[in-house]
Amino acid sequence: MTPKFKQTLNSIIVNFLIILLIVYIGGPFVWMAVASIQGENELLKKPPSIIPQNPTTDNYRYVFTGKIPTSYEVKGQLRSRISQEARLIAPALKNSFIVAVTVMLINLLLGTPAAYTFSRINFRGKKPSYNFILASRLMPAMAVAIPYYVIILSFKLLDTYLALILIYSALTLPFTIWFLTLYITNIPRDMEDAGLVDGCTPFQALTKIVVPMMAPGLVAAAAFAFMTSYNEFLFARFLTQSIKSQTGPVIIASIAGNPDASYSLISVCITLGLIPPLILAVTMRKWLTEGLSASITFR
Amino acid sequence: MAVNPVALGQPERRKGKPWDKAYPYVSITIPFLVIALFTIYPVLYAVRISFYQYILTKPKSHPFIGLKNFQDVITSYYFRTSLVNTAVYTIAAVIGVTIFGLVVAMLLNSKFKTASALKIIILLPWAIPAVVAGLMWKWMLNSDFGIINGILYALGLIDKYIPFFANPTLAKISLVMAQIWKEGPLAAIFLLAGLQLIPSELYEAAKIDGGTGWRIFRFVTLPLLRPIILIVVVYETITAILVFDLIYVLTGGGPGDSTSMISWFAYAEIFKNLNLGHGVALAIVIALITLVLIIVYLRVIQSEETISG
Repeated sequence: MTPKFKQTLNSIIVNFLIILLIVYIGGPFVWMAVASIQGENELLKKPPSIIPQNPTTDNYRYVFTGKIPTSYEVKGQLRSRISQEARLIAPALKNSFIVAVTVMLINLLLGTPAAYTFSRINFRGKKPSYNFILASRLMPAMAVAIPYYVIILSFKLLDTYLALILIYSALTLPFTIWFLTLYITNIPRDMEDAGLVDGCTPFQALTKIVVPMMAPGLVAAAAFAFMTSYNEFLFARFLTQSIKSQTGPVIIASIAGNPDASYSLISVCITLGLIPPLILAVTMRKWLTEGLSASITFR
Repeated sequence: MAVNPVALGQPERRKGKPWDKAYPYVSITIPFLVIALFTIYPVLYAVRISFYQYILTKPKSHPFIGLKNFQDVITSYYFRTSLVNTAVYTIAAVIGVTIFGLVVAMLLNSKFKTASALKIIILLPWAIPAVVAGLMWKWMLNSDFGIINGILYALGLIDKYIPFFANPTLAKISLVMAQIWKEGPLAAIFLLAGLQLIPSELYEAAKIDGGTGWRIFRFVTLPLLRPIILIVVVYETITAILVFDLIYVLTGGGPGDSTSMISWFAYAEIFKNLNLGHGVALAIVIALITLVLIIVYLRVIQSEETISG
């Protein structure tokens, strides 16, 4: 084997492997989107058509307007229960969005000053309070599920946004504070010291000098908080009771849990539900990757 | 605060004001209280429940029963099975995710054009809800009209559709496949960060010394990646032990109890048998197992660091 041939062979194998991985990672998303524009009867064929034969927007129209897709009429199977549930996806995603954005803002507004304090200011009780915040993340969700329910019940907050916002803030703040503390610690102090000498308060030093320098860290922290809240399932599952506060994952799991589920409608719900995190993951890719990398390589 | 001290000719650092003393506490109070409210009270409450009989079908009687909940849970028919299932699943998932992460990280670090496409989509599975990831795989692996069966059938690789979730072994493999898909990307990004920290001079030196691909990987890359691999292993172990969302939608613990992990039984005790005492006792057992693992790992990482300097 000549070296050149060996190199070409090597590059073919590596490229093939990468393409295989692209299909493994991306394939499921493509299939959901493709399935969502097919009629139910096409999806239930053996084998299903990978390229839609009669692409249709009927499934989406049904979810948003309630007009029953023609493919159901052909088969004479009107699945009223699942159909009604699928129509809840739009309000459920709205709920998810409101909760996740609020939690994100809370993380930025409360987490940033706290992280700055932990990173730059010495005060009595600093170490124990920081360690407590970090250790709180080790608590297993299942053990505290019942106590959370009791707390929310006694605050009369069952089935409200506020219940989810409080719990998700408690779940995300430790990561945000830890992550931003490390981030700020890695920013040189010179600029702030100059500011402090000039008479800035610590809070002014934070808002005027540090915040602009830590923008990438803030973007990453915000995205993490948003995703954690948008994706959470267990607590949302039993702290919400109606579409007043039920989130996307809860509704999607409930629709799919119906044995009579319509696959084209499930794929519509999944596709719609995935749009926000996917947009976030692609547009924020650089910051997310940097943030994740930083969180593991900072010492 | 609006007065500009520079203009007033005060170049030295201001200090000693009461507000400056109070500021650190003010800045951490609200996050601290929110976290404490959802940590201290719930943990105490959970521990308390675990010592009482709490069965929702017997709402009027909550006698103190000491360690009986723990005893019941540990001697239950499912405890051994679920521990074995969890251990097998955790080991398979951690090995799978770590190897996947290593391979993807090496590929992403290469200069191939296709690698940049992979880089764009690699984070997608990590960014979505685990429940939704589970549903996507459940449907794709469906035994009657799943796309994976469809593709295998169309390619002539199988004669008839495979019932992935009816066979205990295939159900376990499916679950691990979905877990790798969901968790692998994060591991890949972590390991990529580690790879990029390795100075390229080291590779050049190894090449000059006559190192070939595999030997360079084995004797240069792998040892330098060790700390990050350890962190990935710790993180993925905890994730796998606590796995719930994925099982909830993908297999529901079946067929039989073949994919019922320990956290699944904690859920079942609480929400299906309505026996809060049992469920919470089991959750506490899981927490203790996780804690022990974390301590062991931390010891390992610390000793690693003292060895490597």
